This record gives sequence, structure tokens and C-alpha cells, in this order.
Amino acid sequence: MEEEQQTFVSKARTAFHSAAAKAERVLLDFKSDREDHDKQSSPNTFTGQQPEAESPHTDENDSKLHSESKHIKWRPPHLGIKQDWQDKIKNIRRGRKEVEDTDKVGDASMAIPFYDDNLYLLNVKNDLEAKASEAMPSVEGLTAATKDPIPPSSVLKQLAIAVEAGSKAKSMKDVIASPGGSSPARERAGLSLSAVKALVLREKEDKLTSEFTSNEKVVQLINSLFDPEGDFLRRKIDSNLEETAMTSLPRDIHGAPPESLVVKLAEILGNYKTLRKMALFWCRVVAELRKLWFEEQYLPGVPQDEIPDLKSCLLYQQFQVINCCISRKRFRIIATESLDSMMMQANSDIKESTDCSAEASASPVLYARLNSGELVLRLGADHPAGDMTLLETGEPVYSPITQEGPLLTEDLIRETEEFVLRTGSVGAGCSQLLSDMQAFKAANPGCILEDFVRWHSPPDWTDNEASTEDSDVFDSGEPLSARGQLSRRMQKEGNLWRELWETSKPVPAVKQAPLFDEDLAVEGILNAFEEMHPSDLFGQLFVSLLGLGFGIAEPMLSGNSDFSKLFYDCKEYIITACQNNKLNEKVDGLVQVYETVEKMLLNPEEALKMIKQTEESTTVTGEPRSPFKRLSLIFGGKDKLLRKSVSKDQTNDEEKSGRQSFSSFFDSKSSLFGKKPPKSGSPSPSEKSSIDTGWPVV
Amino acid sequence: MSSSSGQSSGYDLSFKILLIGDSGVGKSSLLVSFISSSVEDLSPTIGVDFKIKTLTVGGKRLKLTIWDTAGQERFRTLNSSYYRKAQGIILVYDVTRRETFTNLSEVWSKEVELYSTNQDCVKILVGNKVDRDTERAVSREEGLALAKDLGCLLLECSAKTRENVEQCFEELALKIMEAPSLLEEGSTAVKRSVLKPKQESQASQNGGCCS
Repeated sequence: MEEEQQTFVSKARTAFHSAAAKAERVLLDFKSDREDHDKQSSPNTFTGQQPEAESPHTDENDSKLHSESKHIKWRPPHLGIKQDWQDKIKNIRRGRKEVEDTDKVGDASMAIPFYDDNLYLLNVKNDLEAKASEAMPSVEGLTAATKDPIPPSSVLKQLAIAVEAGSKAKSMKDVIASPGGSSPARERAGLSLSAVKALVLREKEDKLTSEFTSNEKVVQLINSLFDPEGDFLRRKIDSNLEETAMTSLPRDIHGAPPESLVVKLAEILGNYKTLRKMALFWCRVVAELRKLWFEEQYLPGVPQDEIPDLKSCLLYQQFQVINCCISRKRFRIIATESLDSMMMQANSDIKESTDCSAEASASPVLYARLNSGELVLRLGADHPAGDMTLLETGEPVYSPITQEGPLLTEDLIRETEEFVLRTGSVGAGCSQLLSDMQAFKAANPGCILEDFVRWHSPPDWTDNEASTEDSDVFDSGEPLSARGQLSRRMQKEGNLWRELWETSKPVPAVKQAPLFDEDLAVEGILNAFEEMHPSDLFGQLFVSLLGLGFGIAEPMLSGNSDFSKLFYDCKEYIITACQNNKLNEKVDGLVQVYETVEKMLLNPEEALKMIKQTEESTTVTGEPRSPFKRLSLIFGGKDKLLRKSVSKDQTNDEEKSGRQSFSSFFDSKSSLFGKKPPKSGSPSPSEKSSIDTGWPVV
Repeated sequence: MSSSSGQSSGYDLSFKILLIGDSGVGKSSLLVSFISSSVEDLSPTIGVDFKIKTLTVGGKRLKLTIWDTAGQERFRTLNSSYYRKAQGIILVYDVTRRETFTNLSEVWSKEVELYSTNQDCVKILVGNKVDRDTERAVSREEGLALAKDLGCLLLECSAKTRENVEQCFEELALKIMEAPSLLEEGSTAVKRSVLKPKQESQASQNGGCCS
């Protein structure tokens, strides 16, 4: 222990500015904290030491806070490592960058359930004492972080914690209401204590919630996130990047496009330290989405008029629907105003004169002449349909403005399909066909079904060649059959097309009942956002941020002869893992893979050393296989085990998994490699050795 | 024209098949011919329709849910949602109308690329109406060339004479079963449906009520 501490101090002195030093300190603190936890395993020791240790550290903390104009975020005391603590205080004095180190260290420490009770109580106290100074994510902080080539792995790690913790919560509201939400295992053990805390702190919680929402940093983050002109959280992406490479990865893993609203949201949420604050920020985002919808303002970082991309995550699809609905509402307003003004002008034209010459002067108003010579206003006409003319009147055929179909995200598609399968309904098709018929009639007075079919379903009409050749036939007013005919299937008795045609009335599209109600659709989405399960939200954000990091890293590493193979192994691994449905079981592995890529970018020498060690071990065993292929095997085997086991066993496995991931990332990592792939049997000692060296502890 | 619907516990795999192609090439006729041997003229499909068929291929009992789409351009967006998670897609053209063949590469294969969420889905090219050989406008060689471009099989059929109709669906099912990821999906779908005993699938009539 002393030796390790010495190493830590030594490295801090010589290279405290480097990313490597930051990473080392974080990792070392993991180790130190775990050892402390082991020492405190005895209940007597815990209860005996707690009052003593807590008091002096608190005093020291207060004293430091007071003596310095700067405030630091409270961190759990490291019992027995007074020297380590004092070193941190020294580092804090040196400048702002050290504060960032502190944030990362705190981030790591929060994963330890041992301190949760103290953490919460002291955190509340700290909040009361120095609310405004609390180290929360800010626009400045996040903007500074974009100088890193890819988002820090600590951000992704926090989202991973949220995915796992969120899977134990019932809803987002439970997360907000829960005082110790990030430690379900701990909470289970101390139910009575939790109940007492809930009673005592209920009033304070409400106060904290409203204070969070109006916190200046939160407001600034919301404004920057939704600023359509801003370049908040924009990173330098290689300009030589192949378009397909950058856009294909997010879709392969069901994420979101780079620099989209989803990815930026993921980066912000991943910087919050508690699950509860993440949930509160999400609620604030939903409130902002409601405001934008009410004001009919587009969401930035989302296409304005695209149907949902089913290969992206559901959250991104839902954002697309919101923007598409805004576009449709705007268009309908314009079309309605245009139609209304045309009708007003038509009325004034009629009042002025009923002469035929009025037709020429009223150019914006379109008329069609019936066989009786009567002029009828065309409503909702869009543009001429080629050189088609109406069969009976000879007037030009106009394509009408038509209603657009429903905007369906993947969840609604599944529901629609199940509905059709259950009921046999063809309602959607009939509704659209009827709507088209009514719009066509309004735009083409004097039309008949044959005219509509020629426009809507050309293959169902056959022109009479004789009439085409002989222009005199038309002038002589020969019967309809001389000019062409409907297809046999369309002439068939009981054909639904004819029945619909006879039912339809001439009504322009903008005056029809909507086929797809934008208000209803968006309200459904916003309600779904409020009710969204935490693991669903954080899972999508996790995958999206993962895709961004890999997308940016690819052009930097693909040309590097040392790292390109390892990078593509990592990429293959994440694609395979994300295409599976059980993301919760894979987030830890994905974070480790991401950390490897981060290391290749920020600390290439260390990464190169790791690769060489792996290669040497692989060569010795005589089986040159990638460590990530092995990872896939392990996870594949795990999935099969889960599939075979009884539901009770599954529950137990989930509990164990949760406990492990929260006790220590290192424990999780060791258990990851400790599990044997069932098909390949027990790995040989040398293979096991190579697995261990694949993930060296720095 | 009632379709036979398998019991939820009576089959091993469940696959979703999609029929696409220009209007009037005979998609609905192919489907009805496969399901019930009927050869009568069918009204143009409005929107989407479906039929369910169980059959045994390669020793496995399969349940095929076959979605029949209207080929008119106005219905294209409406039907794009049915591409989702389809394991098999049948692209149909009319051998007597060259335009329907051209549109497979210019229109329909692009729709598949855009809307299909299943990268491994199996495609099959079907040239229909070969019974009207005197009016043929697309040769078999041209069909084979396009099938090669699209990376799929070609079968020439006649819904009227039922030539190659069953082979078309069976060949597609066999190809789907050869893909591990699709096999897994088909197996998963069966397990999921067992948990929903109340869900009864039934064939729809074109006369279904409008909403």
C-alpha cells in the first residue's frame, strides 16, 4: 500500500498534466477505495470508526473550503489515507485543471455503495452550504472537453452506470424520488434507514428538485443544447472521412447520427454525477421539447422533414417525427391560406363580372369548364398531370395536393402490424385512397373514375390505339369506350375502388379530416418521453455516444499500422454486441473496449505496449486469436447459459451482475474473464495468462 | 378463399415475407394462387393485405405471414413500414411489360435498401405471367442478369397456371433457413407468439371496413 501510494505521488509530481496521469490516478483510486472497503468489512470496525473518522474529515473539509475562495465538490473520506487526501488538496490549489481531475475521481468514487449513506447526508449538507458552487456540468466545462478527440470514457461510464441502475428502477419518477437511487443493492439492505431518510428529507428533496431546474448552469446547458445556430459540443471530424463509414456505424449499432441532438444529450447527461440529476435534466429536456412544439420551432440537430429512420435508435426516430410534424403543420397553414385567398378572389371575380373574359384576368384562380359550359373553381390543384386531359370534358388534368401518410416509429409500426394481423383491417389504405379520390375530384371538376385511375394507377388503363391515331375521333364525341378502357380487374363487379369513388365528395386535402393527426402523434411521443423507462433512455444514449467516439476515431486509427487491426476488432465487437437485445449485460464490456480506443488515441505508447504483450502471449500459446473474439465467445456463451437457465436463475444472475458492477469495475472485469465459455471448455493456463495480459492494470 | 392458419404451437419457425413490385404485375394473384389455388381476377390491392400459410420445408413446419402490398406510387410511403424485420422479400415483375422489370432496379431495389431493417433478408426475383409467352418482353437471360446484380434467385412463374408458384415460396423459405440470424428470428417469433394465445390471425377480405 505504501509503495503504491508512493508511486502515485511520484507520478503525479512528474506528469500531472498528462492524460495518462489522470487515468492512473483514477485507476489507483479505484484500487485504494476497494482495499479500504475490504478493511471496513467488519461491522464492529465500521460502527466503531465511523463517528471518529467522520468528524475530523468534515472539519478539515469545512476549514479548507473556508480558507480558499474556491469550493470543491465533497468526496467520501478515504479512511486511513490522510496523506493521499492532503495531496489532493495540494493539487486543487494548482489550478482549474485539477478540478477536472477531482470531478473524475469523484465520478469513480460514486460507484462504491459503501459510502452512499454518508455521501447522501453530507451531500445534502454541502448543497445547503454551497449550492451555487457545486461542481455540476456547465457549458464551459463541456465545451472545453470537446478539445479531446473523442468524448472521455468517464462520460460513457456514467451512462453505463445509469443503464444498469436504471434497469432496477420502475420508472424515471422513481429515480427522481429515490434518495439513494444509484445503489439499489445497498438500499435493499437498509430499508428502515431509507424510510427514515425519506421522511426527514422529503421537504428538502422538493426544494432541491426545483432548485436544480432553475440552476443557472442547467438553464445554460438547455439553451446551448437547443440553440439552432450554436456549435455547442461540435468536434473536429476528419474532413477526409468517407461518408459511408461515418454514417453507417451509428445505424449498424442502432444509435444516432454524429452531432445529432441525441448524441449531444448523451454527452451532457453522462457528465452528471448521480442518476437522480440525470433524470431531472431529462425532465427539463422534455419540458423544453414541449415548449418548442407549442411554439412550432424545429429541434436542432434533427432533420426537418424526413420520415423516421428505422435503423437509428427509437429516440432519434421520435425526434424526427416531431420535426416532420412541425413541417406538416407549417405546410398546411400555407396551403389553407392559399386556398382561402383563392376562394375570396374567386368570389370577388364573380361579383365584378360574369363575362367569359374574366377568366383570362384571374390568372391565380384555376377553373375547369364542364360540358354544360359552366366554369367551376378547381380546389387544391397542385400542378398539371403531364399532358393528360379529362375524358369527358377535355380539360387538363391537375394533380391535387394530397395528404401524406402516417409517420411511424418502430414501436408504432409493430403495433400497426399486430393490429392488421389481428383484425384484417385495410383501413389505412382505404382511408388514403378515399382521401386521394376526394382531392382529385376537387381539383378536377367533371372527372370520372377512369380519369382518377389514369392518374393514380396507370397500369389499370389501356389507351385505345385507334383514338390515338385519329384525332378526329375525339372531336366527333365518340363514346368513352372508343378512347380506352379500364383493366379487367378494375371493371370487376364489387370492386372496392368504384364503391369508394361513388362515396367520395370533392374536398381538397387541407379541408379533409386528417389521415395522420400531428398533435396526437407528438403528444403521444412527449408522454412516452415522460414515462420512458430509465434503462431504455440511457441505453440509447450510451449506444449513440459509443458510435460517435468510434466514428471520430476511425479515420485517426485506420491508417495507423500499429493500431488499425486492434481498432477494427474493437469496432466489430461493438457492432455485434449492440445488435443483440440484451444491452444491460454488455455495457461494462463496451466501456472497456471504448477505453482501449481512447488509450490508442491519448496514450499510444501504453497501448502499443499492451498490444505487444498480447501478441507475445498469443504467439506462445500458438493460437493467434484476438482478445475481442474471445470476448464475443464469452458473451455468446453467457447468452446461451441465460437462455437455458430457469427464470429464477436469471434473476439471481442479474442481481449478481448488478452487485459486481457496483462494487468495482475491476471486479466486473475479472469476472468477465473468469467466466468460461461453455463450448470451448476450460482455457489452458497460457491462454488464461494471455487473457489477463490483454487488459493490464496500469 | 379462406387461408389455413396454423396453431401457435403447431410450427417450428415463423417468417415474415413481403411481396413488392409495380401495380398489376400479379402480386396478389401469386399469393392467392399459392394459398388456395384460385386463379380468378383480383381487384387492385388497396394499401396492404396479408395471408398466412403453414407448410413443411426441409423437415421443419413453417408459418409464413405473407404481406401483399399495393404497387401504386401513392401507396409507397404507407407500405414502407412493412419492410421492417421482413426475413424474405419477393420482387415481382410482369414478363409482358418491360417497364415493370426496369422499375425493379430503378425503384423497388432502392426501396428495399432504404426501408429494410434486416441486413440478411433473402430476396427473390419473380417474373410472372409466363403463360403469355407470345407477348413476352423480358427474356429469362435478362432476368437472370438482374438477379445476379441484386444478389438473389430468379424464378419465372405463372399465377394463372400455377407454374413454379409453390417452388417460389419454398425456395425462399429454404434460403431464409440457411441464414443463422434469420433462423434465430424465426424461432424467437414462435416463442413470442406462444405467450399471446389470444392473438388470432385471420385472412382479410378486400371488403374490409374503412376506418
